[in-house]
Amino acid sequence: MKPAPTLSTAFLHPAGQALPEPLLALRKQRGAALVDMPLPTRKTENWKYSSKYLKLTDEMASSLPINGKAGSALAVPGYKVVFINGMVIPEACEYPDLNNILIQRFGDLSDAEASELAERLDSTLDKKAVQLAGLNSARFEDGLVIRLKPDAVLDQPLFIIHEVTAGHSGSAFPRIFVDAGRNSKITLVEEYISSGQEAVMVNTVTEFNLAEGANVTNIRLSMDGENVQHIGATGVLQQRSSRFESHCVGFGGPLRRHDLQVRLEGEGAECKLNGVVVTQGTQHYDNHTTIEHVAPHCDSEETYRNIAADKSHAVFNGRIHIHQDAQKSNANMNNKNLLLNTGAEIDTKPELEIYADDVKCAHGATIGQLDEESLFYLVSRGISRREANVLLTMAFINELVAQIPVDAVKDTVQTHLNQFFDQTFQEA
Amino acid sequence: MLSIKNLHASVEGKEILKGINLEINAGEVHAIMGPNGSGKSTLAQVLAGNDAFDVTSGEVTLNGDNLLEKETEARARDGVFLAFQYPVEIPGVSNLQFMRTAVNSMRHHRGESEMNAAEFMKLAREVSKQVDLDPAFLKRGVNEGFSGGEKKRNEIMQALLLQPKLAILDETDSGLDIDALKVVADGVNALRSKDRGILMITHYQRLLDHIVPDYVHVLAEGRIVKSGGRELALELEDRGYGWLGIKDEATDADSALSNSAH
Ligand SMILES: Nc1ncnc2c1ncn2[C@@H]1O[C@H](COP(=O)(O)OP(=O)(O)O)[C@@H](O)[C@H]1O
Ligand SMILES: [Mg+2]
Repeated sequence: MKPAPTLSTAFLHPAGQALPEPLLALRKQRGAALVDMPLPTRKTENWKYSSKYLKLTDEMASSLPINGKAGSALAVPGYKVVFINGMVIPEACEYPDLNNILIQRFGDLSDAEASELAERLDSTLDKKAVQLAGLNSARFEDGLVIRLKPDAVLDQPLFIIHEVTAGHSGSAFPRIFVDAGRNSKITLVEEYISSGQEAVMVNTVTEFNLAEGANVTNIRLSMDGENVQHIGATGVLQQRSSRFESHCVGFGGPLRRHDLQVRLEGEGAECKLNGVVVTQGTQHYDNHTTIEHVAPHCDSEETYRNIAADKSHAVFNGRIHIHQDAQKSNANMNNKNLLLNTGAEIDTKPELEIYADDVKCAHGATIGQLDEESLFYLVSRGISRREANVLLTMAFINELVAQIPVDAVKDTVQTHLNQFFDQTFQEA
Repeated sequence: MLSIKNLHASVEGKEILKGINLEINAGEVHAIMGPNGSGKSTLAQVLAGNDAFDVTSGEVTLNGDNLLEKETEARARDGVFLAFQYPVEIPGVSNLQFMRTAVNSMRHHRGESEMNAAEFMKLAREVSKQVDLDPAFLKRGVNEGFSGGEKKRNEIMQALLLQPKLAILDETDSGLDIDALKVVADGVNALRSKDRGILMITHYQRLLDHIVPDYVHVLAEGRIVKSGGRELALELEDRGYGWLGIKDEATDADSALSNSAH
């Protein structure tokens, strides 16, 4: 039997050193774990559709050079942090001036703060299930800690713009850690964008810790360039009566992978996870989500929609795990998929594991095409076939787009959708 | 205006229309009656361009243009409108957005400027009043959760907005109570014009109490077996289809149902 492939040794060389000692130590330790980590192959259950797109070549191992010029990111209004190639660009950032909300770069942490952070990094993720988050932990060169003190409320969304300038091959490893104190509230927007055409990888980890009563909304907009492999993970730990809402909107690429893991650890916690994925050409997008109902009386609601055109491929794997003590759990998962061409493929798999007896759990998944009768009805009113296709495709995701709570993001999403429609539905 | 010559059409290899001939001139209202399953909706759908049906022979022209070679949307832009027997529910597309897109597609085709949201809203409110639909229906998904009668009024509303040259109304009267029937009939009468042809498909006489047709045709087993003036409808009302040699069990059963419902 062939031994499972492991990571190119190029990834095992130490990355940049401009971090406090405790974080360097953590990174080194995580790096050691990578040495014999088997890479996902098609036999790896949670990577079976995606492993063939994963290209962890030597070239990918080099960190992208830092280019201090923030491009389109600057146009974003309000609070923002700009990462370029995985490094925060301080002069492009606009931080809120509030004494109960601290936003710090990893590089600016004191040793004591860094040591506390090092203790907590990776704690929101199941490392076995999110193998490649370990790569980020071993190689991040910068990152952001966002701390909300109890009752702190951020009055406007905080945009975190991750831009990669793909003038060379290589990778970026941005990292975000959010600590939302008791009854605090924040809306955090992560936008992933790129300039340049080279093949690069963006390997991200974003972690949220929600204390009792905290309320976090996370919008994640994956609009990386056409040659970008994006492998991202989001981990969420929720304490009593906290609320987490996520809106993940993604456009396809050579490889897009997002793992979202939510642990409802305190009674009465709730999460709402919305997702929209749009793929075309030969793109590939893979969403894996896990909701762990650990404590009783928690609610989860998950709604994901995939739209695949041409010969593209979208994957949704939604796991709900209701632990033995999680009585009175209420879990709803709904995944609908739209194939716009016969050459497109969508794979969906709900996975339910329920160990408590008094729970409400509903799930549904469908795969279909645009409805011919509806199309006929629309064109019989003089509406062009192109417009009819757009109306029906939008109808499929309208509800989720409408729920995105930040108008500027909604507009960006619509602009990207319109580009997709222009490319997908030609005028007859 | 509309000229149908020896039209044959089939669905899934089964011939449904077996040689239809019909001429409709501008300003005329024609009624087509006939038992269930005789091919009335098939005729309507074929005229609108539903490619689930195959036209195997025959000719259809609208003002001299070959209608059959045109796409559905082109027919609509040339002025063909079909009020569906079973209007389609489209959740996620608002009725307002749907109707505005339709009106603007037509305007665009005629080289007119598009109506903005506010202008269209004003127009849509007026027309919805005309068909007695609460403007709240504009915000709902297209036909989503509408009752049978609301769907029919929504169809008439679209006809009034689009002002077609040829309006084909497929059982727009069925499933309506007396009040709704009156509203629909008023709508159809409002559509009557010297420039417009109307083809009303019905299998009850009662709509014809409100809309007096110029011609009545009886369709049976894919053929027009009898044509006449309005008195033909009255005769059918009195005598049923039997005297024409048509099996009309379905119709009898249906009439019985409709009588008991009212
Ligand atoms: N899409 C279809 N597929 C198969 N058969 C159909 C279809 N549409 C209509 N038919 C058949 O064609 C015949 C005529 O139907 P239709 O035109 O709906 O009649 P009417 O409107 O007069 O009641 C019926 O026998 C019906 O079953
Ligand atoms: Mg019919």
